[in-house]
Amino acid sequence: MSQRRFARSLAIRHLVCGSCNGCELEMNALAAPQYDISQEGWSIVASPRHADLITVTGPMTEAMRLAARRTLEATAEPVVVVAVGDCASGEGTWCGAGSAGAGAGQELKASIVVRGCPPTPDALREGLRAAATLLDERNS
Amino acid sequence: MYRERTVPLSELPAALDEAMHGALPLGCYATNRTVRTLLLSNVGVLALRTPLSVGEAWESLASRYPLFAYHEREMRALQGIELRSSPDLRPLYFRADAIPEAIIAEGKGVSVVVVGPVHAGIIEPGRFTMSTGGESVVHLDAQLSYSHRALEPWFEGRDALALAPQVARICGNCSVARSWAYARAIEGLAGIELDEGTEYARLILAEMERVHVHLFDLGNIAAGAGYGKATTAALGLRERINQLNHAVSGHRLLFDSIVPGGVRAGTLSDPASTRAILREIRDDIVRFTDAFFARRSVLRRLDGAGIVEESLARRFGAVGPSARASGIACDVRALAPYGAYRGVAFSEERASAGDVYARSDLRRREIERSFDLLDRALRELDIAALPMPAEIAAPPAGVITTVVEGARGAESLSLSLGSDGRVERLHVISAAYRNWPLVTRAMEGNIVPDFPLVNKSFNLCYSCVDR
Ligand code: SF4
Repeated sequence: MSQRRFARSLAIRHLVCGSCNGCELEMNALAAPQYDISQEGWSIVASPRHADLITVTGPMTEAMRLAARRTLEATAEPVVVVAVGDCASGEGTWCGAGSAGAGAGQELKASIVVRGCPPTPDALREGLRAAATLLDERNS
Repeated sequence: MYRERTVPLSELPAALDEAMHGALPLGCYATNRTVRTLLLSNVGVLALRTPLSVGEAWESLASRYPLFAYHEREMRALQGIELRSSPDLRPLYFRADAIPEAIIAEGKGVSVVVVGPVHAGIIEPGRFTMSTGGESVVHLDAQLSYSHRALEPWFEGRDALALAPQVARICGNCSVARSWAYARAIEGLAGIELDEGTEYARLILAEMERVHVHLFDLGNIAAGAGYGKATTAALGLRERINQLNHAVSGHRLLFDSIVPGGVRAGTLSDPASTRAILREIRDDIVRFTDAFFARRSVLRRLDGAGIVEESLARRFGAVGPSARASGIACDVRALAPYGAYRGVAFSEERASAGDVYARSDLRRREIERSFDLLDRALRELDIAALPMPAEIAAPPAGVITTVVEGARGAESLSLSLGSDGRVERLHVISAAYRNWPLVTRAMEGNIVPDFPLVNKSFNLCYSCVDR
């Protein structure tokens, strides 16, 4: 089977680290017929062992920090981390508020950042495409 | 209207028993060492104000009224109030390396299944510990707080007017409802009355939020029942509302559309075309729900799953569609109307079975009622002019609690302002906060594979619970 056939398909594990869930509402919108990410060969997977991409939202919380790190450790290299939304990127409403961290994407060293509060589904799709390209490069 | 009555701790149980009649209990919260117990009735919010002296412990109300259990743990965690005779002294908030032990059932043949905090879908974090006997759940322990960011202490000392965007982002699912509650709190303290057009605009924004959240919930219920086609259809319909949200407010989830003093300039600038688009979407939604609710094999999966008896819902102070599906009258739009709901004689939907079917069907009917309200309000708005938000000079010092009906139920917000317009205390009691205990009870006796279905029939948020 050719390499190309699998190129740009994505198995995504989603991590919520203190998000207001606005970012999750828009991530979920990607499954609507208007965007239908399954047509791109993208799916949300039930185990980090299956994931080649981690999407992460929120500023990071004290209670999630360990589970977030362990999720990342459980993935197989190469894996790409995508910071979804302003909070994860380090520029959002809740970054540094109370006991929140400075941005979950920053902490997990995201290589792709999708800005917005929350990002639109179109912006998310662009970000995920960029991540797929990056993953292809790292995999070849 | 907001009223306070000072009640010493020793007299609180009796005062509470009396105040509970015909009222919806909202919970309690502390500001330093003053505890306020909140109730909503048709005359508005009543706060029983109980100052604690130095070193005095709070006599737990949770054994008598379990609805206070979570609030009391929060007062202990954040205000350092000592609890006496509390049934649950586990810390409410924790660091990743010190997660409190889950409560599990013990007995022959009981095994334990743990899921979370990270889940298989795009959902917020929580850890669920199911004690099971065979496939049946004997006990479910829900460990929330993974999204806790200590936001309420952080609000203290900040300029109240400048905090509106943060308040809109405490939770994405109840953003409009919470912004409305916050605006009403500030306007209530400042003594500002709004014009009719602004009130209609707020009603429209709130109902559009309800429609997109209810559609999302229906789609998730379909997913929990293994009916993927309906999930996709519901998401598609919700997307059309989100696009319309963007057209009317510049934001797909309507964030920041309600601001203290009014609605953001430029919002709902073309009511006639909004009304026309909503009519089209409404027709398609009715087609979708008619098909969904005609599908017998799917309905059988909802029937009798996750039953919540009315008495249980009452004991936990349940609110919103989840409580109404068990027969409780608690829709704030009808119980204590505010804004434009005062003029529309709204009557709430109710059911009695308390199962997943009842909670699903109730949402379907509520979507219909929302469209009725939207149609009427948009017609009114078309003739009323929508002014710029009122300028609010520094609002005066004071304490207030406001309540609005969000998609998931009563959203209450308590604000104490200092004389310089700064927040002394900002406390949020979300509908999800009230209803989480129901999810755990509803699972008892249900099979493990039905957990997603039962859970999604409540579809509670975490961010506004954990804060
Ligand atoms: S970026 Fe905005 S929508 Fe996303 S979690 Fe932060 S506040 Fe919520």
